Amino acid sequence: MKKIFLVSIIALTSSVINAQYSNMTMPQALYGTTFNLNIHESTKQLVTGNQTITGSINNETFWGPTLFINKGDLVRMNVTNNLNESTTVHWHGMHLPAVMDGGPHQVIPAGTLWQPYWTVMNQAATLWYHPHLHTTTQAQMTKGIGGFIIVKDPAETALALPRTYGVDDIVLALTSRSYNTTTNTFVSPPTSARVYGDYMLSNGTPNAQYTLPKQFVRMRILNAEIERGYNLGFSDNRTFYVIGTDGGLLGAPVAVTRLPIHVGERYEIMVNLGNDVVGSSIDLKAYNSGQSQSFPGGEPGTTGVFGSLLNNIDFPVLHINVGATTTTTTPISAIPSSLISNTYWTSADATVNRTISITNGTPGPASVPFNFDNVSYAEATINKTVNLNAIEKWSIANTNPAVFGHSFHIHDIEFKIVSRNTGTAAAYESGWKDTFFISKNETVSFVGKFDDFADSDVTHPYMYHCHFGGHEDGGMMGQFIVTGTLGTNQNENSTSFSLYPNPSSNLLYVNLKDANTEIYYVTISTITGRVVMMLPQPEWQNGIDISSLESGVYTFQMMDKQTKSLTTKKFIKK
Amino acid sequence: MKKQFFKLIIVSILFILCSFNLIVKEKQVSDFKLKNAKTNKLVSLSDYKNAKGFIIIFTCNKCPMAKFYTQRLNQMNDKYKKMGFPLIAINSMDTLAYAEESFQRMQKKVKNDMLNFPYLQDKKQVVGKNFKASVTPQAFVLLKQNNKFVIKYEGSIDDNAGDYQNVKNHFLTNAVDQLLKENEVTIKNSEPFGCRIFYRGIKDKMK
Repeated sequence: MKKIFLVSIIALTSSVINAQYSNMTMPQALYGTTFNLNIHESTKQLVTGNQTITGSINNETFWGPTLFINKGDLVRMNVTNNLNESTTVHWHGMHLPAVMDGGPHQVIPAGTLWQPYWTVMNQAATLWYHPHLHTTTQAQMTKGIGGFIIVKDPAETALALPRTYGVDDIVLALTSRSYNTTTNTFVSPPTSARVYGDYMLSNGTPNAQYTLPKQFVRMRILNAEIERGYNLGFSDNRTFYVIGTDGGLLGAPVAVTRLPIHVGERYEIMVNLGNDVVGSSIDLKAYNSGQSQSFPGGEPGTTGVFGSLLNNIDFPVLHINVGATTTTTTPISAIPSSLISNTYWTSADATVNRTISITNGTPGPASVPFNFDNVSYAEATINKTVNLNAIEKWSIANTNPAVFGHSFHIHDIEFKIVSRNTGTAAAYESGWKDTFFISKNETVSFVGKFDDFADSDVTHPYMYHCHFGGHEDGGMMGQFIVTGTLGTNQNENSTSFSLYPNPSSNLLYVNLKDANTEIYYVTISTITGRVVMMLPQPEWQNGIDISSLESGVYTFQMMDKQTKSLTTKKFIKK
Repeated sequence: MKKQFFKLIIVSILFILCSFNLIVKEKQVSDFKLKNAKTNKLVSLSDYKNAKGFIIIFTCNKCPMAKFYTQRLNQMNDKYKKMGFPLIAINSMDTLAYAEESFQRMQKKVKNDMLNFPYLQDKKQVVGKNFKASVTPQAFVLLKQNNKFVIKYEGSIDDNAGDYQNVKNHFLTNAVDQLLKENEVTIKNSEPFGCRIFYRGIKDKMK
């Protein structure tokens, strides 16, 4: 009897304590090879009073589903933009052709279906997808548009690692937001230039709590912020293990008690809850107090453009309640001593060395926003040309003179950080990376191989940029193309074609006049000019599926691969 | 000299006040003629001979914030049309960019949501620009004065879209109630919230 009383007291007090927390959303998991992603505006109750207008995907109310894909699979994405404005979707960390990459050139107008597809070449890793429309990235990221991609492969599957999604293997997208005090809408451009939120959101949940089993658990952590960095650690300073970086698993787990994670970076960690009491709790926290002003969010102010209630303080990002050990899946009770074998590039492998200087950004009336080598992003300018299969060493210098820290990201490849001039690169960032933090007065060098895709595609180049929303929107972005050996067919092809059957109701076939012509891009528009379908390198031989179109007259615009010239034909949808 | 200086001060203070919108000059809007998705007929404000004023709501088919208000708008029109303030909804979204804002989809919405008020399409976005409507939903209260249409209130409908039970400020209906009692409107504007209206040619976000 006494025991029951005690238990109920504990239950009561814990429920009272828990009352300040909300259960963290675990994004819906989608499996398979075809993914339908519907991007739209939504609303979510994030603060008391009015709901907040958010951006989301499919049935979520902030953020989007987690896509599980397998290495070697051909995956197809049906991305429909149901926002009230244009967007793009970039597959961050994915090694794929530039025309499928979803950078700023792949503008998906409102109401349009974009159908990229590719064969998954990445090894098992935690990647993500997000909007990348120039000058609008920060606003659309603020709304919460994005999601995780989890790549699986046999090497990862063979290891004794937690991998039951939502149970002992969770995703955790960290970000923060501020709210307009009268309307509860997110504070974001174009009405505000503030970069740090006042309130933490974990997977879009304020004051998040989550129950994890009493055993080793795996957390795939993404910094989905606009600018803030998180110096993560557990509230009892326990040791935890970094098992993976942006591009996949490390050779062996790296034990840490603190882990800084910056915008766009992902880390997979494992932590042991096996010694915790069921019913107890522990916080994952950002230990951001005492950081320098070069650490994003280290500024002391609470107001103004760079102010925030979360600046330079320690704050919880996830309240973890320890639940019972799993019984349906085998609990992981140990950290593997080794993970996978990676062969990294070294400085000696590099045949090309490039140095990129971070320039401008000094506040002042005549100031130019941050850029690279004094050149701001321009849609038509290709800043670097890389040869196919080249192994290159890029050094990013933040010394000219340095104003602030940055998060550097490059598309197309995963690379290896080979040096930081402020010391050696940390053991936890020694794996494959696609994004890294570069502090004030620091020069960071990485080596990567630009393999597999060489489209020399100036209409859809790859990007390198600062991942801070405001910085990339301000022009801190460059573009590169990868060029291969020239094709054998150097003749001017006839790009003439016809469409059949016309009218058509389901499948539309292309009859090329010159069989050597390669179809690079097809854009289908209504007769009034609204783009309805964007098909990069469509698999046209099997017919193009137009069953989703309403009946009417459409224009079919074809870009050929060799000359990138455009030819247009009309067809009727029955 | 001293007097001139004083004058200058006064003028600059006035200028500053004006630029901070503290002295609100009442805006007028001109009449319009737009097609009603409910009746397929053209509607203009001058059709309403006996109206004292109007509740104008800029809304659209797709916006989740706008959708929260469907029932509230029906109830408002029920109540205030009889009292001389009919409700008129206007869709100023760019139909070229957004298939979902087409006239056919507006007709569908009228049917599905059983709208009891006119739902007009502002296809050329002229009326939206005239009102300077920026989001959906956005409310305007017009008062007919000497055959002119004076804006007496503009902003949000109320302060809680998702949860009608917890609305604290009924901005729109409070304004109409005050006008019906021939009082001045105390809260003349509030910040509207919802989905942005993109005007073709103004903000080139629709490549």
